[in-house]
Amino acid sequence: MQASAVAPPGNGHNKGIFHNTAGFSTLITVTVLSLAWLAGFASRLFAVIRFESIIHEFDPWFNYRSTAYMVQHGFYNFLNWFDERAWYPLGRIVGGTVYPGLMITSGTIHWILHTLNIPIHIRDICVFLAPVFSGLTAIATYLLTSELWSRGAGLFAACFIAIIPGYSSRSVAGSYDNEGIAIFALQFTYYLWLKSVKSGSVFWSICTALSYFYMVSAWGGYVFIINLIPLHVFVLLIMGRFSQRVFVSYTVFYIVGLLLSMQIPFVGFQPIRTSEHMAASGVFALLMAIGALKYLHSLNPKGQWKQLLIVGGLLAAGVVFLAVVLLTYMGVIAPWSGRFYSLWDTAYAKIHIPIIASVSEHQPTTWSSFFFDLHVLVCTFPVGLWYCIKNINDERVFVALYALSAVYFAGVMVRLMLTLTPVVCVLSGIAFSILLDLVLREDELPAPPVETDESKNLYDKAGKLKKRTHEPVAPSDAGLGMNVRSGTLIAFMILLMLFSVHCTWATSNAYSSPSIVLASYGNDGSRRILDDFREAYGWLSQNTADDARIMSWWDYGYQIAGMGNRTTLVDNNTWNNSHIALVGKAMASNESAAYEIMSMLDVDYVLVIFGGAIGYSGDDINKFIWMVRIAEGEHPKDIHEADYFTERGEYRVDSEASKTMLNCLMYKLSYYRYDSGGSPPGYDRTRGALPGNRGFKLTYLEEAYTTEHWLVRIYRVKKPDEFNRPRLPLAKRSISTTNIMSKKLPVGNEQVTSKRRKGLLKNKPTVVKGKKVRLE
Amino acid sequence: MMACTSAHHRRRCLSNVKSVTMPVTTKILFCIVTVLYIVIKSESLSVDNISSDVKFKNVDRTIDLTSQLVKITSKITLENSGKSPVKNFLLAVEASTKNNLAFVGAKDNSNKDLRIAETTVKGYDNVKFWRVELKETLNAGSTVSITTDTVFTKALQPYPTAITQQEDQLVKYTGNLYVYSPYYVTSQKTNVVINTKNVESFTKIKPFSQQDGTIQYGAYSNIAPFTEKELSVHYKNNSPFLTVTRIERLIEVSHWGNIAIEELIEVEHTGAKLKGPFSRYDYQQDHHSGPASVRSYKTFLPASASDVYYRDTNGNISTSNMKIKKDSVELDLRPRYPLFGGWRTHYTLGYNVPSYEYLYHSGNDYLLKMRVIDHIFDDMQVDELTTKIILPEGSTGIKLNVPYPVTRLADSLHYTYLDTKGRPVITFKKTNLVENHIQDFQLRYTFPRLLMLQEPLLVVGFLYALFLCVIIYVRLDFSIHKSEHHKE
Repeated sequence: MQASAVAPPGNGHNKGIFHNTAGFSTLITVTVLSLAWLAGFASRLFAVIRFESIIHEFDPWFNYRSTAYMVQHGFYNFLNWFDERAWYPLGRIVGGTVYPGLMITSGTIHWILHTLNIPIHIRDICVFLAPVFSGLTAIATYLLTSELWSRGAGLFAACFIAIIPGYSSRSVAGSYDNEGIAIFALQFTYYLWLKSVKSGSVFWSICTALSYFYMVSAWGGYVFIINLIPLHVFVLLIMGRFSQRVFVSYTVFYIVGLLLSMQIPFVGFQPIRTSEHMAASGVFALLMAIGALKYLHSLNPKGQWKQLLIVGGLLAAGVVFLAVVLLTYMGVIAPWSGRFYSLWDTAYAKIHIPIIASVSEHQPTTWSSFFFDLHVLVCTFPVGLWYCIKNINDERVFVALYALSAVYFAGVMVRLMLTLTPVVCVLSGIAFSILLDLVLREDELPAPPVETDESKNLYDKAGKLKKRTHEPVAPSDAGLGMNVRSGTLIAFMILLMLFSVHCTWATSNAYSSPSIVLASYGNDGSRRILDDFREAYGWLSQNTADDARIMSWWDYGYQIAGMGNRTTLVDNNTWNNSHIALVGKAMASNESAAYEIMSMLDVDYVLVIFGGAIGYSGDDINKFIWMVRIAEGEHPKDIHEADYFTERGEYRVDSEASKTMLNCLMYKLSYYRYDSGGSPPGYDRTRGALPGNRGFKLTYLEEAYTTEHWLVRIYRVKKPDEFNRPRLPLAKRSISTTNIMSKKLPVGNEQVTSKRRKGLLKNKPTVVKGKKVRLE
Repeated sequence: MMACTSAHHRRRCLSNVKSVTMPVTTKILFCIVTVLYIVIKSESLSVDNISSDVKFKNVDRTIDLTSQLVKITSKITLENSGKSPVKNFLLAVEASTKNNLAFVGAKDNSNKDLRIAETTVKGYDNVKFWRVELKETLNAGSTVSITTDTVFTKALQPYPTAITQQEDQLVKYTGNLYVYSPYYVTSQKTNVVINTKNVESFTKIKPFSQQDGTIQYGAYSNIAPFTEKELSVHYKNNSPFLTVTRIERLIEVSHWGNIAIEELIEVEHTGAKLKGPFSRYDYQQDHHSGPASVRSYKTFLPASASDVYYRDTNGNISTSNMKIKKDSVELDLRPRYPLFGGWRTHYTLGYNVPSYEYLYHSGNDYLLKMRVIDHIFDDMQVDELTTKIILPEGSTGIKLNVPYPVTRLADSLHYTYLDTKGRPVITFKKTNLVENHIQDFQLRYTFPRLLMLQEPLLVVGFLYALFLCVIIYVRLDFSIHKSEHHKE
């Protein structure tokens, strides 16, 4: 709703009255941007207001945990942090496997506030970091769009990005994740890059590199920048738009950016060793070659040199390409990683890396989600793109490439919708700005004075560009009548209004659930909070041994570590597929086979999520088929996916389910003594079926805790002396000591293993009280 | 439902203002206070003699074993059989139970508290003695009746020490059949209240009688001083065995009209440990399942308490209810999970109270009168209490009066919003507390009221400087060469 409120000033800035003073347009800009910041911040607070100030979902819990660690132990200890509480028994080198930008950002804010005696808890900083950064993103988008088109378009774009669901989905309060700050870094880097391409100044290139460094430290998506900028340069070269400005800005950016990016421990030597980064090096080499040829050309600008230039350029490109291929073949450069392949071939992950395919946000995007995340902008952004291509210049080439590549990636993975959103906002901002220009211009003043005013108004920004942008637009709107104008205006105002309503609605309903606190609504509208996750994690943290090892599916690893403060076997980092497969195998095996794996891994407790009692669909039984697939990938001899389906290929839990399914550990742990859930007793509301195997007993595990709504079930793994012991009647429990000695001794002699004989002394002197031992 | 968020409930106390000569003087004052305190405390451990003149003519003793505490109330008829008037008499506690003793108190006929002080007697090094000062001297031959209260914690031993989910909790009490006293007791009766018929076993020394819920012993006559005879009762006790293992009570005083109280509480179920599995099915099917477990308990806050929050490190604990009553705010606190034997939980409870109810002043002198510890649950037992009082910045001349001996820790400084030098923090500690310890402390300090202006002025000054900088910056031109627009 804020968007519609702030939108009019955005176009109002184009009106003639306000052009008189430069201060006035600055005032409008500042007002609109601060309102956009406010609107963006406010619209992300639904979760805090409905629930509380809490970290959401899964990955944010790890980020929060490591931020708290850094705040407590200092930066260098954080970089050297070896987390022995994760990936038991392997552990995890956190400092070297994490993008520390997020932690450093909030740690710095925490430090500054505490220096000023503002005692805000680090958790609150983490919770509110993303909403605060959404305001910065809005400003960065404004700057980027003003570089591309005009300040009016920039204000539109800033308002769009502040509230658009595609971005707020990743940056609501509590969603403390890399993307929250990375989109700001992305937009700001692009802005600085355009600035440096435009000016050709070393200063802006260095700034770009620094901003790129921040982006590298914050998110793995920096690869997008380091491929898009070289692509931009490459396309500029092909278009014959080579200039000294491009040469200076790219070379400076590449060298400084490369060196800086290698300072991040997690990135390390990747920028020179992996294929993902080779485009940047290749373009750098190519640019050097062309620069050299151009120089030669300038020495003797005659006809045949031009052909040489083209041939030489092509030759250089070929050489660079072959060199990269050759180096990859020789193994100096790592080939594309699997995650990268899955961007080109959507079926790749499903076949080769089930662990990536199992994550819902890695699925291909559906058409509806484009509309859901972007609403009307999905229709208007091609208009902006068309105008950009129509009035092409160096910067607009960039935004066109940005748009095209982002559209492609967003189509491949739902998650990458995030990279598309900013460019959609930029281009839609341009489209709306042009539209309002067309519709509103003649009402105020005749066309020619507007142009001069326009350039006057923008004297403190790059004035040249503005002239260029408006010249082609001016003649095209000559023939519009009054009614058409007002009609269009009203129509688009309604569209914008609907857009803001949709944004608020989508953010509120779809993206503002903390997912660790669930809410259900009764028939009378009363709200009931299902706090089972925290109940279970709280129980773990208080009532298990400090070094207890909890086995669960990897989704819950970060939460167990963050809220339960206990050692986990696998977590959301998913760096070790075989370890995850082992846990999957344990879950998919029958109890005794699972017990072997569990005792091998020193498991003390097993945690499963069971939604059958309340109809929670994201539980472990529904995820179970992925556990089977991942386990089968590593242990094809023991686990077969087909065993878990019925003969007709159905995935069921009722009496028709396969025998393997009914006896696997996951099934048993989920349904053990489950008899509540309404009528008939024991009915599984999530799958709408009566479990097929009921009333069974567990031999190797015992129920340690089950939460109030059965959502989280924790089992304790018994020690070997706790099961399989024949029960002796009380009378027979006396132990005759002499017998044991005579029984044990022969065993000790037969067995070769030293384990059995541990603690047994041969020729042990028998001590009789009151008698001296005679030494012979 | 208390939906509270930490960000919204973080206290903002804009109260502290600057004082000119604070650090050195306060430090010296603190030292003096501490030294004085130590002197007083060591004085109180004086040496007494057992007067042979005093006799307990009659003692009616009630041992209340219905909760997790052992509460012994004795109605003593004191007789002066000597010739000289008696001003005080001694109470004694057995060597075996003195570590469990949490509270001793004595009242006279009109239910008024008598002064009581710890003391020692030569030759009885293991016994703990308390000297009770009588209101009026007891003349020779006359009698006076006194009521004494003693409360013991952890005197009930769960036996068996571990039970399954469905079993009842049995506990064993071992005490003294006779009143333990340094004086000759002419006649005595003992009532053991257990409120249950399920008694496994109890000491049977005649005369005794068992009625539903109580066991009566006595009357026994003419028992010599310091006589001990074992009294043991083994019975069912499913009342909550909850121990607060640690509580940190933080009182932050603001002169802008608010006092913020925050309590960090760690609770453990110290009854019989849970043996074997916990079954949610049984727990859900049958409400009598888990008789020894604790599902929830009630905490009473002052009637003026507002903005209550109940959370732990993982955020708000959503399972709680608040009822506002006439004379108190009743919180129905339900831990995230039911507490079985050996299970622990921890949480933070915080609220605000208006300062006019607790803070009095005349001129620049202030008096804070608040509870050392507040109610957590009925029949509570607290292992360790740390109370911290944060005074406004610039408070000096701090004097602490406590109703019973505590260990005062070193003072420290606390920094919060708009602080420059830090707020003085007074910290003291006490172990083994029960409900009888809910008493007020008094804290006197001096605070120049003019210092209230410090913080608003700080904000004003900062904003002024900021705008000034912006104004200057905008009017300066830092560019090396002139921009093109100047030519136009």
